[in-house]
Amino acid sequence: METIVSAIGAATTPAVLAATAAGAVVGLLISAIPGLTFSLALILVMPFTFAMDPIPAIAMLFGVYSGGMTGGAVSAVLLGIPGTPSAAATVFDGYAMARKGEASVALGASVIASAFGGLFSLVVMMLLLEPIAALAIRFGPAEIFALVLFGLSTICGLAERSLVRGLVAGVLGLMITTIGLDEIDGVARLTFGTVQLQQGVHMLVAMIGLFAVPQVIETFATHGRVTAEIATEDVRGLLPWSRLRGYWGLMTRASAIGTIVGAVPGTGGPIASFLAYDHARRFSRRPEEYGKGEIGGVVAPEAANNAVMGGALIPMLSLGIPGDPATAIILGGLLIHGLQPGPLLLQTDLDVIYALYVTIVVSWIVILLVQVAGIRVFVKVLRVPAHLLGVSILVLCTIGAYAARNAIFDVYAMAVFGLGGYLLQRARIPVAPVVLGLVLGPTLERQYRTALILSEGSHRIFFESPFAVAFFILTAAVVGWQIWSSQPRQESNGLSRDA
Amino acid sequence: MKLGGTLVFVASVWLWLVQTQIPDAGAEWPGPRGFPQLLGVVLAALGLLLIAAGLRPPTIRGRETSPTNGEGPPKGARHDARVALATCTVLVFYAFLLDRTGFPIATMVVVVVTMAAVLRMRQRILIAGLALGLSLACWVIFNTLLGIPLPSGAWNPW
Repeated sequence: METIVSAIGAATTPAVLAATAAGAVVGLLISAIPGLTFSLALILVMPFTFAMDPIPAIAMLFGVYSGGMTGGAVSAVLLGIPGTPSAAATVFDGYAMARKGEASVALGASVIASAFGGLFSLVVMMLLLEPIAALAIRFGPAEIFALVLFGLSTICGLAERSLVRGLVAGVLGLMITTIGLDEIDGVARLTFGTVQLQQGVHMLVAMIGLFAVPQVIETFATHGRVTAEIATEDVRGLLPWSRLRGYWGLMTRASAIGTIVGAVPGTGGPIASFLAYDHARRFSRRPEEYGKGEIGGVVAPEAANNAVMGGALIPMLSLGIPGDPATAIILGGLLIHGLQPGPLLLQTDLDVIYALYVTIVVSWIVILLVQVAGIRVFVKVLRVPAHLLGVSILVLCTIGAYAARNAIFDVYAMAVFGLGGYLLQRARIPVAPVVLGLVLGPTLERQYRTALILSEGSHRIFFESPFAVAFFILTAAVVGWQIWSSQPRQESNGLSRDA
Repeated sequence: MKLGGTLVFVASVWLWLVQTQIPDAGAEWPGPRGFPQLLGVVLAALGLLLIAAGLRPPTIRGRETSPTNGEGPPKGARHDARVALATCTVLVFYAFLLDRTGFPIATMVVVVVTMAAVLRMRQRILIAGLALGLSLACWVIFNTLLGIPLPSGAWNPW
C-alpha cells in the first residue's frame, strides 16, 4: 500500500503531469496525420526524454503511446484515411458516419471507446499481469500462426458482397509482403536487383497508396461534393453518451479482445481492431448496417486497439518481450533510463510499475479533454473544400510515405499503390482485406516457417498445441459460418458478382 | 469472367517470377519460395473460381451482370480514370522533383500543376497562395519543428 501511495505521489508531480500531457498531445496530433504513426511520434519524442528523470520520461513516452493510439481515428473518421494501421477498421463506419453528417458523433464515440478500452486493459493488466504473461509466453510459433490465421479469417467479414473477391484482396496483400529480403534465409525475393526493394514494401507506404490516393482521386473527380455533405453538420453534444446506450457490452467485449490480442507478442492493434470489428458486425442485430455508418463499427475497433496497449505491456513489462513495434520502442526508452523490463522489474522497481499505471490514467484524462475540446476543430477540417483538402492530403501523404524510411523510392511506390488501389476499386475488390494481408502476412509466414523449422518439417506441431487447435477450430467456424450465412444472399442475388 | 482471367494471368506471371527470381537457397519446403508459390496457386484458384462463376447460366447469375441494374461501370468512369492517371502521374513527377529540387520547390510546383492541370482551376491567387502556404507550412512544421528530415534535393546549392 505504501508503494502505491508513493507511486501516486511520484506520478502526479507537475513535471510528470506536464510530460504526460505533452506526450499525449504530440501523439494525438502526429498520429492524426495520415501516414504518420505513433511509432514515429515515439521515436521523435525519445530524444526529448534523454535529459529527464526516469518517471517523467516514461510518462511522456506512455502519453505519446496513449495519444497516438486514439489519434489515428481522427483522420479515419474525418478523411476516410486511417492515421495509423490500428485505425484501419475504424474507417469503414467512422467515415461513413462523417459522410452522413455525424462526424462529431463518430469522433466522440471513438474518444469514449478509446478511453474505455485503454482503461479497461489497464485494469486487466493490473489484476492479471502475472497470470496472462505466463499464458502468453507459452505461445510458440504454432500458436501464433494459428492466431494470425484466425485474424485472417476476418477477411470473410470484410469481403463486403463477395467472399471470393475478399479472398483475392487478402491474397494480394499477402503477396506484397513476400517482396524483399526473406527474414529467415536472408534471400532476396522479387527485388529485381534493386536495393530499395530489399527492405520490402513498407506497410505504411502501401496503406497510404491503397487508402489515401484513391480517396484523393475521388475528391478530385467529384470536386467537393463529399465536403458539402459533411460540412452541413451542426456540431452539437461533444460526447454522444446517449448514442452509446446499448454499446457498453460491445465495448467491454472489444476491450477484452484487444487486451488478449495485445498480450500475444507479434500481434498488435490492427489485428485486434479487425477482430473486434468482425465480432461487432457478426453479433449485431443489424449486420447489414456495418460499413454504412453503424456506431458499433467505430466503438468496437477503437476500444480494441486502445486495449491492446495494456495487453502489450504485460509481456513487455513482465518478460521483456515487446508485443508490438510501439512497445519495442518504449522498451528501448526504458533501457536508456536504466530500467530492464522483465521479472526482476516487478521485484526491484515496483514503484515504477505503479507510477506507470497512474501516468496511463492521467494520459487518458488528458486525451479525453484534448479530444473533447478539439472535436469542433477537427470537424472544421471538413469545411475546407474537398478538392483543396485533397491537394493538402496529397502533400501530407507524400511526406508520410517519404518519412517512413526517408526514401524517395517510397513516394514512387505510393504512386504505384495508389493506381493499384484505384484499379481494385474499379474491379469491385475491397481494399480492407489487402491491408489485413499486409498487416498479418509477415507474421503468418515467419511463424509458419519457424514452427516447421522447430518440428523439422512436420506439420504435426500445429496440432499438438491445444491453443493452436482452438484457434484453428475458431477459424474454420468463422469461415464456415460466413459461407453458410451468405448462401441465401448468393442465391437471391446471384453468384455473378464474382464473374 | 474478365477479372478471373486477369487474376489467372497475374498468378501465372507471379509464379514464373517466383520460380525465376527467388533462389532456392537449398532449403526444404517451404523455404523462401514456398509461401509466395502457395499464394500464387491460391490466386490462380480464385481466378478460376471467378471464371467458373461467370460461366453459370444467366438465370442463376441474376441481375448482377446487367449493365442496367446500377452495378455496371459508374457514371463518368472515363473521367475518373483520366483523373486517376493524372493524379498518379503527378505523384511520380512529385517524387522526381523531390529528389532534384527538394521539398519546398517540388511542393509548390506540384500544387500548381495539380490545381491548374488536374483540377482545371483558374483562380491564380488561390493557387499561388495554397502552393506557397502549404509548402512553407509543411517545411516549417515537419522539417524545422518536428525534426522530420524532408528531401532537400540534389540540385540544392545550399
